[in-house]
Amino acid sequence: MPQVMVVARNFMDMVAALPAGKLDMLYDSAFICEAVLRSLPPLAKKYALQMLYVLSPVTAAAMEEWVLDGYAAKHRVAIDKLLQLRVFVEVRDRRKEVSYKMNQKFQGNMQKYLVDGGSLPREPLPSSITGRLPASADLEAYALDQWERFLLQLINSSQVEKGTSFSSSMMKTFQRGLLSSRDGEAPKLTENGFQFLLMEINAQLWYIMREYILSAEERGVDPTELISFLLELSFHKLGAAYSLNTLTDVQRIAIRDLAELGLVKMQQGRKDSWFVPTQLATNLSASLSDSSSSKEGFVVVETNFRMYAYSTSKLHCEILRLFSRVEYQLPNLIVGAITKESIYGAFENGITAEQIISFLKQNAHPRVADKIPTVPENVTDQIRLWETDRNRVEMVPSHLYEDFPSKEWFEQCCDHARDHGYLLWEDTRRMRLIVRGEFHPEMREFLRRQR
Amino acid sequence: MTSAHSKLYSDDVSLVVVLVDTNPIFWATAALPFADFFAHLIHFVNSILLLNHLNRVVIIAAGVSSCAYIFDSSDAGPASGVGVSDTFDKASRKVEEFIAQEARATASNGSVAPANTSSLLSGALSLALCYIQRIFRSGTRHPQPRILCLQGSPDGPEQYVAVMNSIFSAQRSVVPIDSCIVGTQDSAFLQQASYITGGVYLKPQELNGLFQYLAAVFATDLHSRAFLRLPKTLGVDFRASCFCHKKTIDMGYVCSVCLSIFCKNQRKCSTCGSEFSRVMPDLNSMPDQSK
Amino acid sequence: MGSMTIGAKYKTTPKDPGTPGILRMNEDKFTFIPNDPRSAMKFNVDFRSIKGHKFNKVDGDKPALLNLLKEEKAGGYMFGFDSVGNRDLCRDFVARVLGKHQGIVPSRPTARPDNSVASAGLEQLSAAEVERRVKLLREDSELQKLHKKFVLGNILQESEFWATRKNLLDDEANKASKQRSGFKSALVDVRPSADGRTNKVTFQLTTETIHQIFAEKPAVHRAFLNFVPKKLSESQFWEKYFRAEYLLRTKNTAAATAEAAGDEELAVFLKNDDILAKEAMLKIKRVDPTLDMEADAGDDYIHLPDHGILRDGSKETVDTDSELVRRTLSQDLNRHAAVVLEGKASDVELTNTKTVAEALARSKKEPPSNSAVDDANHERLLKVARMTEIEDLQAPRSLPYAPLCIKDPKEYFDSQQANALRSLGGTNDGRKARNCSLSTEEAFHHLMDQVSSIKVNKLNCPIIQSDMALKVLNELNEGISRSRRLNLKNPQEGLLGQLPQHTRDELMDHWTAIQELLRHFWSSYPVTSAVLYNKVQRVKEAMTQIYQKLQHIKESAQPDVRHEVSRLVKPMTQALDAAFNHDLEQQQKSSKGGSRPNGF
Repeated sequence: MPQVMVVARNFMDMVAALPAGKLDMLYDSAFICEAVLRSLPPLAKKYALQMLYVLSPVTAAAMEEWVLDGYAAKHRVAIDKLLQLRVFVEVRDRRKEVSYKMNQKFQGNMQKYLVDGGSLPREPLPSSITGRLPASADLEAYALDQWERFLLQLINSSQVEKGTSFSSSMMKTFQRGLLSSRDGEAPKLTENGFQFLLMEINAQLWYIMREYILSAEERGVDPTELISFLLELSFHKLGAAYSLNTLTDVQRIAIRDLAELGLVKMQQGRKDSWFVPTQLATNLSASLSDSSSSKEGFVVVETNFRMYAYSTSKLHCEILRLFSRVEYQLPNLIVGAITKESIYGAFENGITAEQIISFLKQNAHPRVADKIPTVPENVTDQIRLWETDRNRVEMVPSHLYEDFPSKEWFEQCCDHARDHGYLLWEDTRRMRLIVRGEFHPEMREFLRRQR
Repeated sequence: MTSAHSKLYSDDVSLVVVLVDTNPIFWATAALPFADFFAHLIHFVNSILLLNHLNRVVIIAAGVSSCAYIFDSSDAGPASGVGVSDTFDKASRKVEEFIAQEARATASNGSVAPANTSSLLSGALSLALCYIQRIFRSGTRHPQPRILCLQGSPDGPEQYVAVMNSIFSAQRSVVPIDSCIVGTQDSAFLQQASYITGGVYLKPQELNGLFQYLAAVFATDLHSRAFLRLPKTLGVDFRASCFCHKKTIDMGYVCSVCLSIFCKNQRKCSTCGSEFSRVMPDLNSMPDQSK
Repeated sequence: MGSMTIGAKYKTTPKDPGTPGILRMNEDKFTFIPNDPRSAMKFNVDFRSIKGHKFNKVDGDKPALLNLLKEEKAGGYMFGFDSVGNRDLCRDFVARVLGKHQGIVPSRPTARPDNSVASAGLEQLSAAEVERRVKLLREDSELQKLHKKFVLGNILQESEFWATRKNLLDDEANKASKQRSGFKSALVDVRPSADGRTNKVTFQLTTETIHQIFAEKPAVHRAFLNFVPKKLSESQFWEKYFRAEYLLRTKNTAAATAEAAGDEELAVFLKNDDILAKEAMLKIKRVDPTLDMEADAGDDYIHLPDHGILRDGSKETVDTDSELVRRTLSQDLNRHAAVVLEGKASDVELTNTKTVAEALARSKKEPPSNSAVDDANHERLLKVARMTEIEDLQAPRSLPYAPLCIKDPKEYFDSQQANALRSLGGTNDGRKARNCSLSTEEAFHHLMDQVSSIKVNKLNCPIIQSDMALKVLNELNEGISRSRRLNLKNPQEGLLGQLPQHTRDELMDHWTAIQELLRHFWSSYPVTSAVLYNKVQRVKEAMTQIYQKLQHIKESAQPDVRHEVSRLVKPMTQALDAAFNHDLEQQQKSSKGGSRPNGF
């Protein structure tokens, strides 16, 4: 399930791209330190842990000795990550020997955190104010419902009843790539949008969050504040109520947008209003380190290209419809077939074969998930073949030259084009050649000079 | 390390079962006071939990007369963020209870233990393996388990069979046993345990820096171990010790019933009590090449 | 097994008209003598040269052929027969003979060594077993080496070799899981067959169909339990049942009513199944009263032309007048579906009608009281869920595990070295425990003090000083780089690494060989039979040879590695010496004990 990692890392890349000063500011919060630590690759975690109490720099060579031959790349990746996120700081001594030392703020915070656990900037409201809060099952249902509603709206805006339409800031976020936004036209899903739908839920979350922060940045909001708020939010207690009064203005706007996605549930008391984090929010930091969700899958694919999806979700049905022909829909079962037409439809929308296959694998029903392969090989092979089938013909804009007056001239032309790597085809007998379109001006120039 | 289990999380998620030696005789004379040791331990547990929200840690205390679960991170609910000080409170309370109970049990037994009393390593190992088996059988996805023994007191030869059995079952279910010796003597049991199960055996030189050893060596998840070079002991003593005099032997007599090892020919197996027929004295207990 | 004589035609090709003659076969060979004494097609062949046989499928007027194949594509002998029956007789005979021969074919010198199986005629192996052994040998070169050395070297017998490796052999044997068969999903439909000559139809019954009939038609089941054997014999019962069925099938309503009037047992079958009717009523009661049943009336297209359910190729027409015909197919289908889903109790042995009937009665809880209906219904659903579980899709019930094994025999030698080091080094660090003697009580007291101090002090931060942490890290780094350097300098760590490659390989080979031999040696004691005695002699012989080779290696070793070699060889020679001594003792004892030589 590499997608999550890619996207989540992208989020962390965004964090890493912050200027050093801002990054250090983020590390004021122990929770952000923890979230960052958890996002690291396993080897980097180990390095960070063994440096936790070492104040003086340790040479890079000493660290590398621990790595077995042939795994230097892993070591490299881990160290790069640590440096990018400024968890480690590079130090060079007089002899130009490289040493690493831990970011002091990070180190201090982590040491303290291990002892007394750190505290969130806000405390949950007592139940005397909030009354009965939603049970965790209800909360989960709420979160998933909100999330599905959002995805459904993406798939087809006409299918969702009016009134759930998103706020303009959220809409802007989607229009950063998921939806095309031509004026006067209903927004349509883009290629990225289709690919997004097949992603795993945590990957989707991170994708949206990243887009959200980037679009906020365009509106002039400091991304640091949003990043730290999001990461902190993921350490809030699931199902507890937090007063809105503890939030800054930026955070208050953000929390309303997040509520639309189902990350938090907003509630109104007699005079107070508060938000309740849902699983989606608390899973944010978790999914940074764990690439696989523990959710059970629902799809069984048979060797005869038939697909059984044990799901009641309308969203699932819509997603399956992206690349398969849904044949029957029973109360808890969707029966579909993977056909050439349906797969071609998916390709038209910019979905790749690998995405379809990994979707089927990720969402495999637990009964088949343990089998190897999860999805029958003939099906995966066929999907890949269908994809390569489409790529059989490559379109290259080009120009055809013919009616050369002499053999020499023709050959000179051929050589010229070949030398520049623009020759596509030649027919010596009938003296014709085809050259890439972008080379045409030069070719014309060449011909003119020859004349 | 290839895993025999398919329901593992993909990455570095670990379940660490820590076996803690709470032998009072040992701690009375140990170089590192128990209070400091405990602080190192809790620190280690917290840092494991810090690395991944799915990580789980269980602490099992091995006393002289009983064993008990001291701490289980999965009881604590959502561990993220708030669990750190809980770990300390819960574990210290449970340890106190456990030691008090052990003290009562020993006092009521009235038996004055010999100076080199060993802790119940076999019992603690069995508890740990049972816990791990329960995780395996829970049917859901589970973290990759390993066992860490923090032992100080010397091996108890009377536990040889039980310990070896635990080691083999750990190997069979692909659970590495790491050993960190906080005492003065090397433990032949744990050397073999770590060797057979593919864990790390280490005897720290600087006990005051225990946490550093734990963090640098024993916190390494199984995923990363595949590409790291971890401390290795120079040669493991594979030779069995005979059950009668605890001598390490190259060749000896093996009981055909329970496979106990003796350096001399015996009339009766002292472990399982089988009597070797006197009519054919050499037939039942025959020397075997030991390995 | 005897012999066989039969008329046949010898053919060179399938198209060949063939030479008619007499084919004689006995257990060892077969002869063919042509009818025409002038013909040259006369031969006498040993069955041992025949590897297999083939026969053709006979349809139309093609002759029945049997082809006896010689080894390795050398062709074969083809015979044509006048009838398939004759051919099949012949084929079966040949199959028997070949089967017997191939069990005891001595290993052929031409075959590859790992293919030769069974050196003596003691074992009768199935082909599958032979295949498994060959496969094992092929997969494990070490095993193959041993096999080659001992079995083909005539030191051990095939069976002896494998006897110590039973676990390898039956590991895979019981992997195949069994699927329980449920009810047939086809509707029970016993067809009468008429012989055409007399005015009589015959129904064929098996216990399985009977079971199904009982399950689907509770009234029949009840009648069976009531009538048989007190009132009717079993065959009489079924006769009546099928008579009723026949009447229903032929829609002979008038006759049915007439017969029912005269025969109360028969009437039972003609009546509507009251048990089913009761169940149906219960079901209807459970239906939500707001459901408008009338609305469905329009859906019943059976009265329209071209609608309805086809059975027996003709449409089932509805005759609403007759109660008998109300038993429509759809009702039967529903009942059948319910029965199939319910499944059959796994412990029912379908041997005899009586037991079937009783088992079914046991498994069925007799009419549930109204309050228990919900319970029963729930139970039924559970059972349905259990029965419809598909074994193929289930996860394996037992947990996977890694096999126990001794990792690498090389490690043993490494440990030898480490032990040598240890004896030199003595105690390996200066850390000595404060040696004060405490009573258990005091010790506990001390520990409790420690624990309470923990609770008071909480965790101190930082838990270790930076310089201590650095010191430890440096120490670890040092250790790691030392082992890394060692590794680079000498990838084959340890004692073995210092030896030249071929000596090392030779020693390892001998080591595995010695282990195998010792295992056989010790397991043959006490020597109680001539077979064991022979085995011991053979093994001893082989051990002596290896012993000499070891001595040779030791003496011929280069001076710079001689010490290492002798250290490596020592445990091997020790083990062998122990075996020789034991053997010597036994011999002395038995010679003292009397006339019985060699202990048996």
